Amino acid sequence: MKMLDQPLVVSGELSWLGGDRLERRVEHPNREVSTIADGEVSQEREGREPRRFSLKRAPQLQILLDSFVAMLGGDATRLEQAFTIQYSGDDARRWTLALTPRDPKLVRTVSRIEIDGAGNEPHCMRMQEADGDLAVDLLGPLAAKMPATPTRDALAALCRGG
Amino acid sequence: MRPGGRWILLAVWVVALAAIGAFVAQRLRVSTDLRSFMPAPTTPDQRLLMEQVGEGPGSRLLLLAIAGKSDEQLAALSQQLATSLRKDERYSQVLNGSFDIGSLDEQLLPYRYLLSPTFDAQPMDAPFLRDQLEQRLEDLSSPAAGLLKGLLPRDPTLEVLKLAERWTPPKSPDVREGVWFSPQNEALLLVQTRAAGFDPDAQGVAIDGIRKAFAALPEHEGATLKLSGPGYFSVVANAQTRGQAEWIGRISTVGFIVLLLLAYRSIGSLLLSALPIASAALAGIAALIVLFPQVHGITLAFGFTLLGVAQEYPIRVLSHRRAGENALQSVRDLWPLLLTAIASACIAYLAFYASGVNGLKQLAVFTITGLLVAGFSTRYLLAHLLPGRVHDVAGMGWLVRARRGVDALPRPRWIPVLVAVVTVLMLVFARGAFWQNDLSALTPLPQDLLREDARLREALGAPDVRYLLVMEAHDEQGVLALSERLQPTVDALVARHAVDAVELPSRYVPSEAVQRMRQQRLPDRAALERALSEAGQGMPFQAGLFAPFIDDVQKARALPPLTEERFAMSPLGQRVSAMLMPRGDHWVGLGTLSGVHDVAALQALAQGGNGAVRLLDLKETAESMVVDYRTRILHALLAATLLLVVAITVALRSVRRAWHVLAPMTLATFLVLAAERVAGVEVSLFHLVALILAAGLGLHYALFFERDTGDAAEQRRTLHATLVCVLSALLVFGMLAWSSIPVLRAIGLTVSLGVAFHFCLSILMAPHARQD
Repeated sequence: MKMLDQPLVVSGELSWLGGDRLERRVEHPNREVSTIADGEVSQEREGREPRRFSLKRAPQLQILLDSFVAMLGGDATRLEQAFTIQYSGDDARRWTLALTPRDPKLVRTVSRIEIDGAGNEPHCMRMQEADGDLAVDLLGPLAAKMPATPTRDALAALCRGG
Repeated sequence: MRPGGRWILLAVWVVALAAIGAFVAQRLRVSTDLRSFMPAPTTPDQRLLMEQVGEGPGSRLLLLAIAGKSDEQLAALSQQLATSLRKDERYSQVLNGSFDIGSLDEQLLPYRYLLSPTFDAQPMDAPFLRDQLEQRLEDLSSPAAGLLKGLLPRDPTLEVLKLAERWTPPKSPDVREGVWFSPQNEALLLVQTRAAGFDPDAQGVAIDGIRKAFAALPEHEGATLKLSGPGYFSVVANAQTRGQAEWIGRISTVGFIVLLLLAYRSIGSLLLSALPIASAALAGIAALIVLFPQVHGITLAFGFTLLGVAQEYPIRVLSHRRAGENALQSVRDLWPLLLTAIASACIAYLAFYASGVNGLKQLAVFTITGLLVAGFSTRYLLAHLLPGRVHDVAGMGWLVRARRGVDALPRPRWIPVLVAVVTVLMLVFARGAFWQNDLSALTPLPQDLLREDARLREALGAPDVRYLLVMEAHDEQGVLALSERLQPTVDALVARHAVDAVELPSRYVPSEAVQRMRQQRLPDRAALERALSEAGQGMPFQAGLFAPFIDDVQKARALPPLTEERFAMSPLGQRVSAMLMPRGDHWVGLGTLSGVHDVAALQALAQGGNGAVRLLDLKETAESMVVDYRTRILHALLAATLLLVVAITVALRSVRRAWHVLAPMTLATFLVLAAERVAGVEVSLFHLVALILAAGLGLHYALFFERDTGDAAEQRRTLHATLVCVLSALLVFGMLAWSSIPVLRAIGLTVSLGVAFHFCLSILMAPHARQD
């Protein structure tokens, strides 16, 4: 992240609650539960007032939601509607999906998402924001391999190699 | 008069009318502000109500709903419409829900440290900043990151968001696709016009502008635009009233002409008898132009109706023409009685003048001038112009039979007693409220329009329109300080659910004292830099990231306090100027309330304020105004009645004869009242006006029936004249009674009933005619 000297690392659970609903539960370093449901994002932190805002105000989340729900639900049409998709893979076991948002407004905040996986399992999701910031989600068993002070290159290698 | 002289007189009269007409056309300025027909406010609360009603932000608000397309398309239309209206001078504020941080403009942004209460309890020191920075770091790794990232360098404590939250209306509609939506999937907008709400013409222009702007949007086809709000209602009501009055007027005019042609069988007489009425109308308007800066549209509409009485003068003259006698002679015989009739009608209309309501004063000036001109021009001008040879109505067979029938009617002395007893019984046993105090009951709007308005208002979370918290102090700062002192008590009331939400002016602009206090609590550059570096220790934020924050805090320390005047330039300024206004030698602040549950608790709050704070109940105030208004009219009527008794007694030089004239008129007036009460009508001001008009007509009937000339032919002429008058009045007002507009119906029904009762009673109670 440009504003920061070092990358931010959090760990927790991301779960799909069905429909357009996602829950993101952070365990470390601080407990926090965020849910996206019915076009609204709510964020609850220990000892703080919950914060709510409309999904419309956070285009990154809309993209996250679209890609996740479509992928986890196996909804190829929805994925097609929201993104232009590039598929590349060495073989059936290892693949990378590159998603570019179709909505020109969204592209201005998130330029592309890359999802790496093997077989039926996505391992890694990298969201490239238009301002140069990069968010990397290590999923499933890969999450345990998150280094304490990750670098972009190390993470990229981890994603492809996992 | 020689034939040549007659033509010259006619030419002079017509030229004079044309001259007055030209003067009127050039100078007449018609106002449509309905408030000049409302009672004059007497108490401070009533004055405030009138201001709120006409100029208040609530009354200038138009509610817009766009429906009929997908959410996305509707949101785009909403944004485009808002953009186009914001450029238009006619609208002072356009809101569609895309309210965001941008509502505080760049120049005012440093003011956030003076407007936000964050640092009142808590200094901007290292521990506080540390806590904030930790939270921001969490935010950056949270879903809200994208939202906050841009704000971070300038505003790490998120003061802007706190202010936005503080300023968000307590209840606001759903935001979808970035704009407001109703539960019925309509995109909602709020537009505030510069024009006053109760000025239908100006509102019509504003509404037209909105419709045009909507029609000019590239993708508006298939979507519908709905409007609501007080301004829209005044336009609809005006158009409806005008529309109905016009077609009713057209039909009655045709009927009236046919009636007169049948009655007098002379086109010449008909045309000539129109001259006194035309003179009356023009002279009345000219008098208004001379005496008042603006003439009210309603004055003109009602005035022409009331002038219907003046039509009687030429009718009387025409009916009383005798074969072989010239018009001048007939008029001379009739003149004393006609003069009494004119004078008594003028006295009755004088009551309007005494009401103190500007519109009714104009009405009085117009009708009294008109009646005098009509009467005198009939006597001194028309009489010279009427053709010498006439058709004497006295010889008509049906009239002879009718008069015989009327004379043969039994006229027992107990009839007035019986009618009086029945009237009293009807008045006593009529159910429901006697007086109609609610002005809105007279609104001509269809119910579904009002329901629609209530629905949109609810969806937009517009505040309660009934109650206002009024704060008074000698200056702006005093009001703001008062509002700040009130805040904790108000918060306690909200916590107790006495009221859902209260918005005080200090919520937007704190007093100067508070702003200065906040300024003094802000750290200087060195201290802030120190605190920030201490707070940021061990955190990954880049060095120098928060320079814009430090700059803003330093700017805030040096700013002159934000005043209502300076704030007025920002998008939120309208809201503040609506809540804070100078009035004469002091300032008034208004707090709006939503969801009032416990009025007593709010009143108790007001009582604690030593008279500087009070709860204003707009509905009660409006009703108290109507009651005051009516009391004044009733007093004026009482005085007019006494004056009338004296005038008639003097004119007839006999108490007994005055009794024969006044008794049927009085009885009939009360009988109309009783009949309407039994029918469930609640008596409004318009009913009172109509009763006076009917009484004026009834007085004429009674006067002429009472006249005992000892000449059977003359009695027949009297019956003829009265029948023509009654039929023409029934024609005009009976038509009005069919109108769907409450005001017109009230007048039409009351006058028609009145004319019928007055006619019957004045026949039944007239002294017996001597037999031939």
